[in-house]
Amino acid sequence: MAKAFRASAGIMLAPAVTLIGVFVLLPMLLTVWLSFQDWSTQTPFSEASFVGLGNFREIFGPTSVGRDFKTALLNTTIYTALSVALILPLSVVFGLLVHQREVAGGTALRTVLFSTYMVPMIAVALVWSKLYSPSEGPFNQLLGLVGIGPQPWLSSPRSALISIVLLNVWQQVGYFTVLAIAGLTQIPGSLYEAATLDGANGREQFRFITLPLLRRTLLFSAVIAIINAVQVFEPVALITQGGPVGSTNVLTYHIRRVGIERAQGGLRSAMAVMLMVSLIVCVSALFAFVNRKDSE
Amino acid sequence: MSAATRSLARKRPSGRKALLATAMLLVAVASAFPLAWMMLSSLKTPAETMQVPPVWIPHTPTLEAYGKVAGVINLGRSMWNSLVIASVTTAGILVTSMMAGYAFAKYSFPGRSLLFSLLIATMFLPPIVTLIPLYRMVGSIGLNASLAGIIVPNLANAFGIFLMRQFIAGVPDELIDAARMDGASELLILYKIVAPSVAPAIAALALFAFVYHWNSYLWPLTVLQGNADAYPIVISLSRLLSYNRGAVNTSLVMAGATLAVLPPLVLFVFLQRFFVDSIVGSAIKG
Repeated sequence: MAKAFRASAGIMLAPAVTLIGVFVLLPMLLTVWLSFQDWSTQTPFSEASFVGLGNFREIFGPTSVGRDFKTALLNTTIYTALSVALILPLSVVFGLLVHQREVAGGTALRTVLFSTYMVPMIAVALVWSKLYSPSEGPFNQLLGLVGIGPQPWLSSPRSALISIVLLNVWQQVGYFTVLAIAGLTQIPGSLYEAATLDGANGREQFRFITLPLLRRTLLFSAVIAIINAVQVFEPVALITQGGPVGSTNVLTYHIRRVGIERAQGGLRSAMAVMLMVSLIVCVSALFAFVNRKDSE
Repeated sequence: MSAATRSLARKRPSGRKALLATAMLLVAVASAFPLAWMMLSSLKTPAETMQVPPVWIPHTPTLEAYGKVAGVINLGRSMWNSLVIASVTTAGILVTSMMAGYAFAKYSFPGRSLLFSLLIATMFLPPIVTLIPLYRMVGSIGLNASLAGIIVPNLANAFGIFLMRQFIAGVPDELIDAARMDGASELLILYKIVAPSVAPAIAALALFAFVYHWNSYLWPLTVLQGNADAYPIVISLSRLLSYNRGAVNTSLVMAGATLAVLPPLVLFVFLQRFFVDSIVGSAIKG
């Protein structure tokens, strides 16, 4: 019987394991291998020649290759940090608004919030580029109503990246709100009743019950938000092309450009490997941080 | 307690309610505003889209822009391509995820948790990392610049396997054993016993996969290499922007965006319960 199951397991796993092995793991290993090679993306893999750590030295070096990569790495870091810093608190606040039972309409609010997550990023980028339009866009008009002067949004190096963060937050926050609601429904109501009897006010209950018990959910949300944020591509490719003056040149956009337009396969692979390593470091650090908090 | 304090005690919660309701309304309006603006702008005349300060509600709503979209891009073809890409990919993901999810949930075999962890790790791999080697590989098997090239590499993914394993693990072993006693094959059991028991999760995965692949941009853009006949709607949409760049085209772009947004949005409105349940399920069980 056990032997027969082993054969069935093989059959059941074969399609998924083959597809993921061939189309995800193999190209990933190729990228790692190519990061140590000099290779033009327009030639076969067999043309690659070993250069040791040369590509890594170059992308962190003082030439324009190094400057551009370090800028892209920094831009992606800022973009990711800002996205997470905005999405997590907002998802908890919105989650509380949906979860509360004092005022009706929570489910409707959830629907509205979550619907933006279904919108293709290309459409989001197109629509927001018009919303941000300095003269014909409604954002500056609305700011004018409350006495704030017109903002340059996407057209200034100081505000372009944060403008893209904002459209990303708008699109994604509904998904994370649903995650937060999932976490909130897990907290037993009896905890709040006991706290009320002990005279704890709303703010104390939030700080000593809600937040600590949401820690696992927030860790999960943070990891997903980071993974999503490093993939930002459409608004940059479509609207800013990395500008103005490199201020929105993020890693996914930059790595693709180096690989396709400049055909520098070794350099783009080294950059991709650094992206992977940064992600692993970042996510492990998050887990370590939350686990230490847990053991306190 | 005096009458005054009693009325104050009643008033405080109602003030709180008003505050809550206002906050909820503000959040909903802010969230709905960009898409509302998109749809309103698609109905404006070209002159209205250029006006300063901007016009919010079109004075003479017109569907003219929608007619023009079909003249600039091959709208029917793009929508059809998107439909083919999203549905075939989704069908593949459902089959591969259910099979693998069943194996991980209900069989014990050597290396099970190691293999599972390895597959799950790919969930965290940004697509840009594999983009160029994958592009070269797909080219070497002759699938470049075709719908098949977009679809084939995406027929299995870790998220689907993870979701299916979570839900199939909850199917009682007795059900499966009883079917085995009756001599049913494992594939038949998966199809006749397991699949109906996890139908909501399958619906959720189908919707996730469909929306994700309807919206996907980076991979089709790379693999198609300018073959306009195979463009999905999101790529055709990005071409609308470069059409008449700088001239009057806002209502055109907004009409195109509205058309691209509608299919996933309509699916979501009807089936959001499954989306929400599966997110909640995967987050809690994960």
